[in-house]
Amino acid sequence: MSTSQAVFAGWMEIPENALTDEARTRADEETLAALVSQYSGTLYRVAFSVLRNPSDAEDAVQEAFLRVLRHRDTLHEVRDQRVWLIRIVWNIVLDRKRRSKTRPETDDVAELARVLPSDGLTAEQIASAAQHHAHVLACIEQLPSKERQVLMLSAFEELSSVEIAAVLGITESSVRSRLFRARNLVAGLLNHTRS
Amino acid sequence: MNDPVHNPIELGAADETLRLIAHLPPPQGLEDRVHVALLSRPRRARILSWPSAPRLESNWMRSAAAAAIVFVVAGGGWGIYSRVQQPQAKVIVMPMHVATQGGFSSAGAMRTPNTLNGPVLAHPVLGPAKPARPVVRFPKPATLKPNRPVPSSAPGNAAAQTAK
Repeated sequence: MSTSQAVFAGWMEIPENALTDEARTRADEETLAALVSQYSGTLYRVAFSVLRNPSDAEDAVQEAFLRVLRHRDTLHEVRDQRVWLIRIVWNIVLDRKRRSKTRPETDDVAELARVLPSDGLTAEQIASAAQHHAHVLACIEQLPSKERQVLMLSAFEELSSVEIAAVLGITESSVRSRLFRARNLVAGLLNHTRS
Repeated sequence: MNDPVHNPIELGAADETLRLIAHLPPPQGLEDRVHVALLSRPRRARILSWPSAPRLESNWMRSAAAAAIVFVVAGGGWGIYSRVQQPQAKVIVMPMHVATQGGFSSAGAMRTPNTLNGPVLAHPVLGPAKPARPVVRFPKPATLKPNRPVPSSAPGNAAAQTAK
């Protein structure tokens, strides 16, 4: 083999590190695919609880995973991936809701009537239930944002108060006190509207 | 006492609504759509990036590339420097600065010293004044008698005959 052939062979040779990078990229993609399969439903429900629109919630979930993909190099440093993902999607939906206009209660009634489970219920019962839930949600919307966020996250049974604190970036005692205040305020608002 | 904390009906309604929304099933095919969105994401542009990740083995390539860049930049700079002549220093004669007492400029005005008062003419000058000619005075020639011929032995005639 001549010298030039040896040089060109060296240039054309695929280094081992390139294979390692490719394998790492593939592993990251597989991890991401597993995260999508495992947590996309949870993230969708979290997003829907704030946005209350199926297509907007799905967009938020996709955006959350795209952000994860952008920071996949730091994926192995994340301790609790579920809380980390919920925190990402929570920030996304809060940002989207801040930019969008306030939803009227009629929109919520129509949307809830469409998505709520209707097993064994008549159309009249479904409409009545949707109206009731929309009214409750309208009362919750009147709460201060800190209390409202804690109250909405507390509805997810899979989230403990420690995890809610991690999502919101506050202490657990703050979660408890805010939840207490939120429940009082909601009860007062519902009682006031009923009377 | 109508304390809302002890009113379980309202609290139960709020909890029920929130729990109902929190447990709504995600739409079918959500995972597939998210997978498709992730696969169809815009790839990173690799035009300007280094072809491979920086590694220890490729340090010599980076050094060679850096040296080549330095060589090209320095050579180009030297080529331009050697071709382009530097312009000669131009001497600009500045007008003499006239110091003014105030803060305003004199706008180029020159101070003219006062002159003595000249003689006053009694009559106005009618025509343009002619330049004065210098008066040259020659000595008066000797008076010649009119009927007397000029002698041939004069030095002027002798010279004329020699020339013929």
